Amino acid sequence: MLKEDEAPKAVFPDADSFERKVVRSNEEIKAKIQQRMGKTTTSLWEDSYVTFIAKKGETILGYAAIVEEIGKHRPITFIVGIGPDRKIKDAALMVYREAYGGEVRDRRFLQQYKGKTLKDPLLPYRDIQNISGATMSVEAIGRGSKKALALIETVYLEGTERK
Amino acid sequence: MKTVIVILSSLLILPGVCSAQETDLAAEVRELRAKLERLEKKMADEESQKMKRAEVERAAITEQVKKDVMTDVTAKGQSYFGKLIEQTKVGAYGSMRYGTSSLDELHNSFTFRRFVLTVDSNITDRLKGNLELEFERFTELEVEKRLFASRGVGLQQAIEATDHSEISLEQAWMQYDIADWLKFRAGAVLVPLGRFNINHDDNRWDLPRRSLIDRGVPVLPTTAAWPELGAGFLGDFSVGNTGKINYQFYVVNGVTLDAELEQISQTRAGDTTKFAQEVELRPSRGTFADDVKSGKALATRWAYSPWLGDELGLSFYWGRYTPDFLPNRSVLSFAVDGKKTWGNFEIEGQYVHTRWSGVRDVALGFARKAITSESEAEIGDVETEVEFELANLATSKQGYWVDFRYRFWPEFLGKTILGKHFANPQLIATLRLEQVWFNQLIKEMTFSSTSLTQFDRENRLLNRMTLGLTYRPIPLVALQLAYEYTRTNQGKSLSSVTNFLTSKDREYFQHAVLMGLAFGF
Repeated sequence: MLKEDEAPKAVFPDADSFERKVVRSNEEIKAKIQQRMGKTTTSLWEDSYVTFIAKKGETILGYAAIVEEIGKHRPITFIVGIGPDRKIKDAALMVYREAYGGEVRDRRFLQQYKGKTLKDPLLPYRDIQNISGATMSVEAIGRGSKKALALIETVYLEGTERK
Repeated sequence: MKTVIVILSSLLILPGVCSAQETDLAAEVRELRAKLERLEKKMADEESQKMKRAEVERAAITEQVKKDVMTDVTAKGQSYFGKLIEQTKVGAYGSMRYGTSSLDELHNSFTFRRFVLTVDSNITDRLKGNLELEFERFTELEVEKRLFASRGVGLQQAIEATDHSEISLEQAWMQYDIADWLKFRAGAVLVPLGRFNINHDDNRWDLPRRSLIDRGVPVLPTTAAWPELGAGFLGDFSVGNTGKINYQFYVVNGVTLDAELEQISQTRAGDTTKFAQEVELRPSRGTFADDVKSGKALATRWAYSPWLGDELGLSFYWGRYTPDFLPNRSVLSFAVDGKKTWGNFEIEGQYVHTRWSGVRDVALGFARKAITSESEAEIGDVETEVEFELANLATSKQGYWVDFRYRFWPEFLGKTILGKHFANPQLIATLRLEQVWFNQLIKEMTFSSTSLTQFDRENRLLNRMTLGLTYRPIPLVALQLAYEYTRTNQGKSLSSVTNFLTSKDREYFQHAVLMGLAFGF
């Protein structure tokens, strides 16, 4: 289990400070996130999102968002670190509650998401190596990663030039 | 003179003045007393009102405290049940299929293979519970019992059940997670021999029939899903940047020769009515009650995954398989299994070898205890027959299955009903090859007066090839279509080497087409 104060450091190990910001969700934000996620639909909408701005000195290294998605029966809580270039820097599992499929916590699985953007499918057997017996959890990590990408774009990168 | 007059006048007037003053004073006193009484009454009224108010306030406070306590208790109760519901999840998986066969005695039929209820609970962060209850081909099971007295005491018992109906506990264990690499598990656990038994959920597989070595023969000491009652440790740890080792190790009651009783009542035209009882001793999963043997079994599997998608597993099982009334003999199994992935193409397979020690000694021991393998008697119009049989034993069995799978999804299907409602539908083409070798399989065994009178064994081979195509709209649901070709030694019967095919004496091959539905939720 990864605690909230440890989570941003797990995805931005080079950062020396983190600015925490809680983003209250509303219909407008949901609509913008959904628009950016395209056909991918989330299994749950959070009431609010804990986000972080990761800095090294005065330089912004990126942003991180804690999101939740239902695996087979239970929500999986994880953090996704996203660079200013709108690409995933890293992801880390915070709480995994399912009875099976704990392998999604492994670094060797999560490092597949590095460099992925909203344009990637983030689906098993497409661009993500599946874990046998944990396909629902693998799909959930993909959906949650897209939600985090869409949220960070909406909250922090809207209006900035897309690279 | 003036002075005298004044004094006299004063003496005359003063008593009158004094008398008037006394009257005023008395009136004043009465008035004051009345005031005092009013004040006292007012004060008493106020005190009374104050007391009444205090009493009302006290009652209100008491009522509020009661309400608060009730609310608190209710909230705590709701939170307890809420937590219980939140931490416990009920799911299920199952499968059904429609099969056709070229064998004369097998009908084209729908079969509801199984429905398995699953319950898992995260009791605390480190304590978990898991349960799987299987209903196999289950429709109905009803037992009726009646004790009655009518010219004596009688017991009437009736069992109503549908064909092959079975209720089975597949898993029921508690687990304490000490660390990722060390978890303690106790209860009815799946025996980690090979990769199928520990991943046997129907909806995980792309073909509608389970493999020969795990189910249809089996080469495993007993059929999968194979749980045993015991305890042990499991865990996993990283090796290098991408590698991982996973292990399971258990001590369990273990497989044992267990009896199955088959009763047959048969009317025969022109002959007596036959009442037969067949007692068949065959290797079965260990008991969940008191063990019938003193020895316990060991089972362990170690798997190395160099990177995601690839795995190589080694496992073995060893333990006594004879109940205490038979000679002490053991069964040893070992398995090699693995999976290799190249993008959308994958190979997965498993090899199992099982050696039953002292099969002849066990047969002889059985003969000595059972005295005779068969006895018949005829009383009036009823012929009774009792037969004892030792089934499904061979000196050794070995076999493998290997699946070649390719996952794909043509873009044009995305716009059809097969694809447009789903995020990541899949088509999976599978080729499965299987072989099983039987070494010294018991073919015929008869005994009389504590000695074996006939003990025939034979070596056999069983092959099967399956070609399948599966459509998965979501990962938990599979619609399967498969063609099977099964063949044993020419001129021999398929039913003597499988537990699912009914064939005539010389039917040695089968063509079958299966359509299956596997689901989970």
